[in-house]
Amino acid sequence: MSKLEAVLPRNLTSAAPRWRELWLKEDWWAIWLGLGIVVAGYVLFATGHSAVLKWIAVAPPKWTSLAQLGSHFAANMARYLTQFALWLAVFAAALSALGYKAREVVPSFVLLYLLAVLVIASGQWDEANRYNFEPPLLALALGLVISNGIGLPRSLDAGFRVEFYVKTGIVLLGATLPFTLILWAGPVAILQASIVSVVTFLVIFFVGARLGLDRRLCATLGAGGAVCGVSAAIAVAGAVGAKREHAPVAITLVIFWAIVMIFALPLVSRALHLPAGIAGAWIGTSEFADAAGYAAAESYAGLANGHVAGIAGSGDQATFAFTLMKVVGRDVWIGIWAFALAIISITRWERTGASRRPDVAEIWWRFPKFVLGFVAASLIVTAVASSYSLADYNKLVSPALVTPIKDLRTWAFIFCFLSIGLTTRFRGLARTGRGPFLAFSAGVAVNVLLGLLLSAVVFAAHWQSLAR
Amino acid sequence: MTPGEPHCGACAHFRNDAAYLEEALAGWASLGSAHGSARGGDGICGRHDRYLSARSRCDDFTPRRGASSLTPSAP
Repeated sequence: MSKLEAVLPRNLTSAAPRWRELWLKEDWWAIWLGLGIVVAGYVLFATGHSAVLKWIAVAPPKWTSLAQLGSHFAANMARYLTQFALWLAVFAAALSALGYKAREVVPSFVLLYLLAVLVIASGQWDEANRYNFEPPLLALALGLVISNGIGLPRSLDAGFRVEFYVKTGIVLLGATLPFTLILWAGPVAILQASIVSVVTFLVIFFVGARLGLDRRLCATLGAGGAVCGVSAAIAVAGAVGAKREHAPVAITLVIFWAIVMIFALPLVSRALHLPAGIAGAWIGTSEFADAAGYAAAESYAGLANGHVAGIAGSGDQATFAFTLMKVVGRDVWIGIWAFALAIISITRWERTGASRRPDVAEIWWRFPKFVLGFVAASLIVTAVASSYSLADYNKLVSPALVTPIKDLRTWAFIFCFLSIGLTTRFRGLARTGRGPFLAFSAGVAVNVLLGLLLSAVVFAAHWQSLAR
Repeated sequence: MTPGEPHCGACAHFRNDAAYLEEALAGWASLGSAHGSARGGDGICGRHDRYLSARSRCDDFTPRRGASSLTPSAP
């Protein structure tokens, strides 16, 4: 094989391709959609029309009988139809810009929305907690059964965009998370996440190397387990120039363990009676992908909000701790991991004699831009709230602005959780082989135990008091 | 590197459109996305069967018709 060489694009700084990212990358679309909702909500709030946002952000309420639920839908059908039309319009516009056909997106989203109504309504049943009918878990299980048991045409995947929905949800989540909390808890999240990420990566890498795996595969697996799942594995695979078959192996292992952890982490947290903030931090440290992590964290948040015996704290604490740990502590460092591993790959693993010079700008190119929207949303609502007393905030701002945004965030997350199940076809995943499975699983074991130790012992006081 | 210099992003062996990548790398769309920023402009080299940066290059460069500049961001 001829030598491959990474080259610097220093002179290839044509503005056109860079600006095109603003409408050709889903990170930016998540920002436009999420911030668009936040800004529109603020305008409605500031002009005394906040009832419009509340009217659109409809969701099934708590119910005890099917007749009661039916009455709710009959009385609010216009609200649901309007909300559906708005979601469809914005998502279809964004997905069309990303290259999907509207005629495939529309039927796909109709199905997704109907399933989301079913899932959210099921979660509002007053007996739901008793049967573990947490909407995130139900959405995932329902999606998996449909995609693997019944089967759906591939064309419907056009509207099942897991990452797009979770990124939109995260931007909306920023509006409910005070910026001061990010500043206060962010450093601890970064410290804890960094410890676990580095240790997990090294375990996977060296176990893999010991088993004789290609170092580029080891790095790809390590990033998948340590940083942010599939996105990190793919980013590092590209940075180190992995073999084509490496990335699918890492993807399979991330999906397998992420789905196991969606069910296992909330279950074990519940068994250990972990307070909501601590469980959220643990899930943020030990889940592998944002979407999967939110499914687990929101599930535990639902238990906390449902006042399940033995779980102290609020649902917000679980969600906020998870977000700080996963988004602030892990996701934003993906570019640095890719850049560092590109250097190591070039200087240590592939001595071709050629000059290969990775560019530090890669850190920005790979930066998950939706995080900017998350921070901007937090800043906007924090600025709005700063001019109110706590009593007025709770009485005026929270119910008119923050709560409707939170309800819309719930919809976005449920679209995401359903999409995970609907797009995960186990038969279509790559075979991993024994070596990669053992290496990755060793990292999982260390990650889970170390994450629990740091969350529930070392930094327990910090996470337990979060957002109180 | 100067504009127009051979690089994978302008090579006939290289593909980095998001739909193709999600089809070629099984499971990617389940918990990730080829449309995300983290991918940059990475893609698959069919000549060497590797997943790599659009900014890489090799001796087997074959100009792709219509490719004039680096397009790392294009999905």
